[in-house]
Amino acid sequence: MSKSNLKVVNNKTRSVDGHAEMMGRPLYTDDYAPHGSLVCRMLRSPHAFAHIKNIDTSKAEALNGVKCVLTYKNVPHVAMSRAGQAAPSPSPIDKFILDEYVRYVGDEVACVAAINERIAEDALKLIEVEYEVFEPVLDYKKAFQNKTVIHPEEGISQAFEMGFRPKDNVAASYEMQVGDVESALKKCEVVIEHTAESQAQAHAMMEPHCSNARLDDHNRLVIYTCTQTPFHMRRILAKTLGMPLNGVRIVKPRVGGGFGGKQAFHCEFFVALVTLRTGLPSKMVYSREEVFGASYTRHPMCITMKIGADKDGTIRAIDCRALSDTGAYGEHALTVFMIVGSKVLPLYNKVDAVRFGGRVVYTNHVPAGAYRGYGAIQGNYVLESAIDILAEKLHMSPIELRLKNSMKEKETSPIFEIMGEGTKGTPMIMESCKLPYCITRGAELIDWDKKYPRIQVGPHTIRSVGMAIAMQGSGIPYMDMGSSSIKLNDDGSYMVTSGATDIGQGSDTVITQIVAEELMTSVDRVTIYSSDTDLTPFDVGAYASSTTYVSGNAALRAAQKMKARLIREAAAILEVKEDDIDFDGKVFVAGDKSIKLADLASRITYSKDMHQVAVTESFFGRVSPPPFMAGYVEVEVDTETGEYQLVNYVSVVDCGTTINPMLARGQVEGGIVQGYGMASCESVIYNKTGKLLTNNFSTYHIPTHKEINKLTTEFADSYDPTGPFGAKSVGEIGIDTPPAALCNAIYNAVGVRINDLPITPEKILTAMKEKEEKKEQ
Amino acid sequence: MEVTFILNHIKVTYNVRPDEYLAESLREHGILSVRVGCDESTCGSCTVLIDEKPAMSCSVLTAQVEGKHVTTVEDIQDEANLIADYFSDEGADQCGFCLVGFALVIHALCREYEDPTDEEIKNYLVGNLCRCSGYNAQFIAVKKYLAEVKKHVKK
Amino acid sequence: MRAKNFYRALSLDDAYQKLLENPKNSIIAGGLWIKKMGQSYETLIDISQLKLDQINEDNDFIYIGSMVTLRDFETSPIVNNFCDGIPAFGIREVMGVNFRNIATIGGSIFGRYPFSDVISALLPFDVTLSFYPEQSMSLEEYLHYKGKIQGILVAIKIKKEKAKGFYKKVKTTALDFPLINIAVCKRNDKYYISVGSRPMVAALAYKAMEEADAGLDFKQVAKTAVEEYAFADSFSISKNYRKEIAEVYIRRGLEEVSK
Repeated sequence: MSKSNLKVVNNKTRSVDGHAEMMGRPLYTDDYAPHGSLVCRMLRSPHAFAHIKNIDTSKAEALNGVKCVLTYKNVPHVAMSRAGQAAPSPSPIDKFILDEYVRYVGDEVACVAAINERIAEDALKLIEVEYEVFEPVLDYKKAFQNKTVIHPEEGISQAFEMGFRPKDNVAASYEMQVGDVESALKKCEVVIEHTAESQAQAHAMMEPHCSNARLDDHNRLVIYTCTQTPFHMRRILAKTLGMPLNGVRIVKPRVGGGFGGKQAFHCEFFVALVTLRTGLPSKMVYSREEVFGASYTRHPMCITMKIGADKDGTIRAIDCRALSDTGAYGEHALTVFMIVGSKVLPLYNKVDAVRFGGRVVYTNHVPAGAYRGYGAIQGNYVLESAIDILAEKLHMSPIELRLKNSMKEKETSPIFEIMGEGTKGTPMIMESCKLPYCITRGAELIDWDKKYPRIQVGPHTIRSVGMAIAMQGSGIPYMDMGSSSIKLNDDGSYMVTSGATDIGQGSDTVITQIVAEELMTSVDRVTIYSSDTDLTPFDVGAYASSTTYVSGNAALRAAQKMKARLIREAAAILEVKEDDIDFDGKVFVAGDKSIKLADLASRITYSKDMHQVAVTESFFGRVSPPPFMAGYVEVEVDTETGEYQLVNYVSVVDCGTTINPMLARGQVEGGIVQGYGMASCESVIYNKTGKLLTNNFSTYHIPTHKEINKLTTEFADSYDPTGPFGAKSVGEIGIDTPPAALCNAIYNAVGVRINDLPITPEKILTAMKEKEEKKEQ
Repeated sequence: MEVTFILNHIKVTYNVRPDEYLAESLREHGILSVRVGCDESTCGSCTVLIDEKPAMSCSVLTAQVEGKHVTTVEDIQDEANLIADYFSDEGADQCGFCLVGFALVIHALCREYEDPTDEEIKNYLVGNLCRCSGYNAQFIAVKKYLAEVKKHVKK
Repeated sequence: MRAKNFYRALSLDDAYQKLLENPKNSIIAGGLWIKKMGQSYETLIDISQLKLDQINEDNDFIYIGSMVTLRDFETSPIVNNFCDGIPAFGIREVMGVNFRNIATIGGSIFGRYPFSDVISALLPFDVTLSFYPEQSMSLEEYLHYKGKIQGILVAIKIKKEKAKGFYKKVKTTALDFPLINIAVCKRNDKYYISVGSRPMVAALAYKAMEEADAGLDFKQVAKTAVEEYAFADSFSISKNYRKEIAEVYIRRGLEEVSK
């Protein structure tokens, strides 16, 4: 399909919101809090696991300026999942707004609303709590059937069978097998087994979680909040508070980063209840410590891959076992876990047998939740490291082994049909897959042949390269639905209202471009408003890499419908047949008759047969075409200290058509650096009593300008027939490859493999010294 | 207590607590361009200029700016607009939360350095964190912007 | 952080008298560490009007007022002229310009923070601190001083000597605290080695310095140096690694300053 005809899509286009953001317009959630809003602050548990024997808030309530105090005693006791996901919930229903149990250091105990922050803080100190403290579970490998049961309470459940066994501290479990892995492995000439662990990475988005609530002119509850899923939020909040769904309005302003960390409830229940109880507007803003230690993290996992192959390098079987730590609550427990298998193992689709399974356990850690990559990065780290180990054993180059076995266009994997979003999946053929090109082009760009495995550049300096491939998805088939409405303004410009949730990834811009392209106009003639449950049509929200593919397809359909509708309008005015009309975006021409769009719009608004032209369309995917990529890292390692620097990270990505090439590059590179942070410098450390120590930017280190030397990003010329103008997703694919690529590069440099993230200089030097000692023995 | 200072070229007097930080005071007075990312002197999102120099407004008491010049992005709109052109052209604007801080820092960088090296640019930007962009597109945008500024200065 | 009052001192003596009034009174310099500690104060005493923000020099010394910001220090031509700008380089390792435009030399030194790059970068040099009321001592003496100085740090002076220097801040990312920092210099043909953030505050390695002056092999000197120090674990780095990496950078520093 030729992309050269595209005038807006796949062309450099400035974002619709970037200028307003840089010029300082008030457009984030806290900027919308009405002046004088009550300020809400949370009392949080100092214990990793305890029961609230007694809680006395009378002194706090009596403090001048305090308007409301919430505890488990005076809020609805309705179990829910806080996860922003479709109904029925694929996450355990295991959370109450406030509970008499606290399950991690930082868990919510009481919420105070006061006329200013000072008074709210002082009031927190006046709340008296008597705890019965239990022995917490702080090692997820010891969680299963531990004598400490983290969820002993009544009233929790699973919406469908997902292995939810709270008495065993199991939030979910999953098993699947294609073929017979045991016997397939027995037949293999070469078998390797590799185990590695990854940490509870923090999203570390720049905007802290915040919400504010007010009652509007109909006395309805309106919540402004930085969320990725306003519609799911409305449904769950209304149900949990026993309110009619249309009694709640959720508005998502500009969001200062989400990455999955805002795909679940944070402050919303509290500001909602405070405003409902007091009638006053209220707001809550998390401190940075709360963002780290009381919102969500990535699921830390321990994963084992067993891979069997023939001597000629044909991979025959893969057996993957995983253990995931979902922390105190089970948001996204099953669905993240399944992605470890479903968006990783199909990379090597031609195996005779493949097996995936394991458990997600509760611990008394900060709850884990959705996070970009969503299981694929954890699985990719272990699989793509294992593939390098296998390559070495087979005396094959890592590239050769991958080219031989990885997914190709028009192929499929049985895993697609078996594994979906917590339930069954959808079969699909790879209508677009440029993975082989990505692999070879990436090798070229990093100059692999010259640099692999290493080059000594100084007496104690080595440069090396490492690589990994990855795939992700584009929305969840038969589950993710998005919608767009378009109305014609009276001057012929367009107003789009979309449910799609822009959290910084640029969906507002992408949808504007799609509409402009289809309606053959320029982006300045298309205005977009999104993510308001009152005013915009339904969309599941920003997750599973769905905004371009699902929401974008909805916008395309709406634009197509609008175009057809406009032609019908013009035909009626010109009194010709619709088929005779030629429309170029500005003028309708039929023979010697014509009418400008602007004139048509004005006429139908003000002059004759007055009516508003507006359309709405929806889309849900029947497939989830994966984007693919090959990631190559070059590092320079100091062999005396183990320290290393990033020299270059090359990414070659197949995401179909890039609706916005520069924003697509930004998505990839942002993902690469976030993945590189997880791989290299983002340590997560708890103390012995379960308190998260790495809970601010002084102790939790994300990459800065100085760590990122060079990033090289290219896109394969690819086109997916099911995507809008051929586009697939690009939001998550960037994050998956850095951990394995870096691990492989370090191994190529100094011969040690670091199997728990992050890969720190200390771990490298220690491993090198141990290797030396072993040699000497 | 009363604190008088020059905010965006206008003399203002704020009535503040002795322990009130500048970020809070500015936001209370409607300067919502000041974005608080961490409130702990670590992320740089709240950067303003104090006597033309970048400083984190979450970490300076309002009392400490008595008699000083404080500049927020409202005062450098044309320049922010132009820097935004460059950021947008590189796709370096994603969630946008860090951008005001960067605009002010880049504004100050141009005034402190005539022709900064790559290292000097990175040293100047390093105090501002970004989680979305991966930094590469930002760096390219800044370099292109500086080249443009240099051309105009030469003229 | 809570403070009931903010007081602008009119003179050093005014500031000092105010300080004595109440144990919950404190001088505020840049104020970054006061914010981070989050304590409650009666009165914060501001000394920014007392012209303590000047950098001057004469033939023998560089004089740096305690209210000189880290940024003014690192960009000062006078400072950069000294020892090929190595102390300036060390200070530039601290956070970003939007931090260093607030943090002061005096504030960084007065607290004797073990992780301080400012202290570590200056310790190998001949640095004298002056306090009000009148008292002066070397930086090293101050680091060993028992108890708290009841006074205000007014200025530091660095002796001008021909010197070559080396500074290394080992860190996870550029905005990290130092995991360990190493400063080496050679001035007047004598070697000085300082290692800080061990996590203890910077200290000189006298035995090793003697060995270096005696012409011993730098590998050996570095080994001696790390044996002189106590190291401990922090949650993000072990004492063993601290020791190993310090040894490497001490050796490299000695090599660098001997070129």
